[in-house]
Amino acid sequence: MIEAPDLSLAALAPLLFVFGAACIGVLVEAFWPRESRHPVQVTVALVGTLGALVTTLLLTVDFEREITAAGALAVDGPALFLQATIAGLGALSLLLFAERALDPARSAFVVSAAVPAGSPRDRELLTVQRVQTEVYPLATFAIGGMMLFVAANDLLIMFVALEVLSLPLYLISGLARRRRLLSQEAAVKYFLLGAFASAFFLYGLALVYGATGSVRLGDIRSASLAGGTDVLLVLGLALLVVGLLFKASVAPFHTWTPDVYQGAPTPVTAFMAACTKVAAFGAILRLLYVAFGTAEWTWRPLVYAVAIVSMVVGAVLGLTQTDLKRMLAYSSIAHAGFLLTGVIGLGAAGDGSGLAATMFYLLTYGLTTLGAFAVLTLVRDGDGEATHLSQWAGLASRSPLVAAVMTLFLLALAGIPLTAGFTGKFAVFRAAIEEGAWPLALVALLASAVAAFFYLRVIVLMYFSPPAGAERGQGPTVGVPGMPTTIVLAITATATLALGIVPGSVLDLAERAAIFVG
Amino acid sequence: MTLTYYLVLAAILFTIGAVGVLVRRNAIVVFMCVELMLNSVNLTLVTFARATGTIDGQIMAFFVMVVAAAEVVVGLAIIMSIYRTRRSASVDDANLLKY
Amino acid sequence: MLSNYVPIVGLFALAAAFAIFSVTAAPYVGPRRYNRAKLAAYECGIEPVDQPLTGGRFPIKYYLTAMLFIVFDIEIVFLYPWAVHNEALGVFGLVEMVVFIVTVFIAYAYVWRRGGLEWD
Repeated sequence: MIEAPDLSLAALAPLLFVFGAACIGVLVEAFWPRESRHPVQVTVALVGTLGALVTTLLLTVDFEREITAAGALAVDGPALFLQATIAGLGALSLLLFAERALDPARSAFVVSAAVPAGSPRDRELLTVQRVQTEVYPLATFAIGGMMLFVAANDLLIMFVALEVLSLPLYLISGLARRRRLLSQEAAVKYFLLGAFASAFFLYGLALVYGATGSVRLGDIRSASLAGGTDVLLVLGLALLVVGLLFKASVAPFHTWTPDVYQGAPTPVTAFMAACTKVAAFGAILRLLYVAFGTAEWTWRPLVYAVAIVSMVVGAVLGLTQTDLKRMLAYSSIAHAGFLLTGVIGLGAAGDGSGLAATMFYLLTYGLTTLGAFAVLTLVRDGDGEATHLSQWAGLASRSPLVAAVMTLFLLALAGIPLTAGFTGKFAVFRAAIEEGAWPLALVALLASAVAAFFYLRVIVLMYFSPPAGAERGQGPTVGVPGMPTTIVLAITATATLALGIVPGSVLDLAERAAIFVG
Repeated sequence: MTLTYYLVLAAILFTIGAVGVLVRRNAIVVFMCVELMLNSVNLTLVTFARATGTIDGQIMAFFVMVVAAAEVVVGLAIIMSIYRTRRSASVDDANLLKY
Repeated sequence: MLSNYVPIVGLFALAAAFAIFSVTAAPYVGPRRYNRAKLAAYECGIEPVDQPLTGGRFPIKYYLTAMLFIVFDIEIVFLYPWAVHNEALGVFGLVEMVVFIVTVFIAYAYVWRRGGLEWD
């Protein structure tokens, strides 16, 4: 008789909520009449993600750290903090998906992905007001995968979660209603490179298993303590980290990021930029700290180096971009570098403030970048979103409010004081300096200064340039957002300001949460 | 220690797959190379299961197979959709996105 | 030791005998009706045809069926270990398997309702 594993249903509740909602979404897709499917799907997806958010928060009330599901799942401070972050950001992204007022055809997603782009049938469907509803279950599955990813205490579960979050993302990034070829191309690139990276992760898993005889993070830790570190283990760790850095879009594993961010539908880009980043860094933190915290010398130089490369590549190449979505993609690469600065700040004994700082930074970065992409969906021309920089010239005179909100987000991304970006950056840099990594913090400061230039350039363009196409009367229009996008903008803008001015309570929360189990 | 041969074989297969991803131009072939990498991992896992005397490696090979199948379906669907528009599955033709 | 294998040898003999009996008996007892299908290269599957107008490719439906087959077929690997060790896994294993099969059936219901199983 094999003992049944202990299964704490309470600890699993957030995950069950999301995956349950995703399964119900699939059933709705199968059985609900098409005409009224959209509101039902949106409701199911939102109930799932918000329910997960609430259950995660309920779990934090008198919770104790535990490892459940036969050691596969860790329920601890970082897991709950990041799960709540992912669920919240995911719900906001779903609201962006559900926006119906901006596009004349009422949705950012293609009606039928199976119809070849550019065919007569496709042109016919372009103006039809039918909406794609399959994106909601897909996105919900992705959110569930991300929430599992940050709580995985076992490399195999981590791999399965990685695929559960990636596969729906590959699909939904190819579902843009306009510029479909671009979108499909983004999906192919993302898929091929993503599958390549997950193969590396998997080979790393196999090597670590060979070296230690287990894939539980705790066992790996004790095995590396007992038997020292052999070549197999170090090689395995390197391959695992490569796979994760790819998902976190850290240079030099970033090449997919600009293309996919540009090609994917903007709500999906917002989702990827905010939630995938949180999930990937959650897994990186857990892997490096729980499994390899004792073999810290093996990964520190690697992370140190890629952090510098990522910051420099993101900041410098960001300068040369003329497309806003691409620019924000390079910004995301630079921010991945800043986040790795926080990972370095984890400290040799794990007592550094790096973990709390990184988690706080993930929250602020997710909110800000989600808001920035939400603003991008508002400015449109005849062929969807107007993302070329020149089209944003003089936007302030046309729509002061949109320009002001965008300015707030850009300032936050640049890390200007009184915004969330500043507090986040300050926290991770301080953590790195406390661990004696001041050269890294210095590079990070310089990279921030360079990156600030391209954010400020957009602001200058919006306020001090003559309006684009005004003389010909064909500039981009600023759409009036419907309820969902308005809610997203209001929440993200308020949070960006609030976390910049009074970050204390959330920082405290992150610090109290910053203890791993295992 | 004959198990080493299996590990070396798996490493060679993995390398062939990785090189294939980098040098081949047809998306389907690139994809087949990724599958080769996944299967070489399966061989590694099963070999290590034997070497360490634990059953976990074999179970993990099952999971890898299932995930690989899901990946095949998603990947073929994406490649097929772009092929039907372009009549080509070459990754060199996918060049709209650059700066 | 070897006597353990006697039933297997018996099974082989039985199978061979049945096959030989069927093949030899068929021409004598069965009716003979010739038609075009009997002369085709394969009795089932896709007809061998030379280059059609569409460029020598199978219809897209074929890929769809193949993909659906792969994704559902592979789930068997999880059923197999459970089936082998059913007794030892007990009620917990049974419950887990039911949950697993229900989720697979959700996917199946989706495919069925969206017309993934219809050929035309």
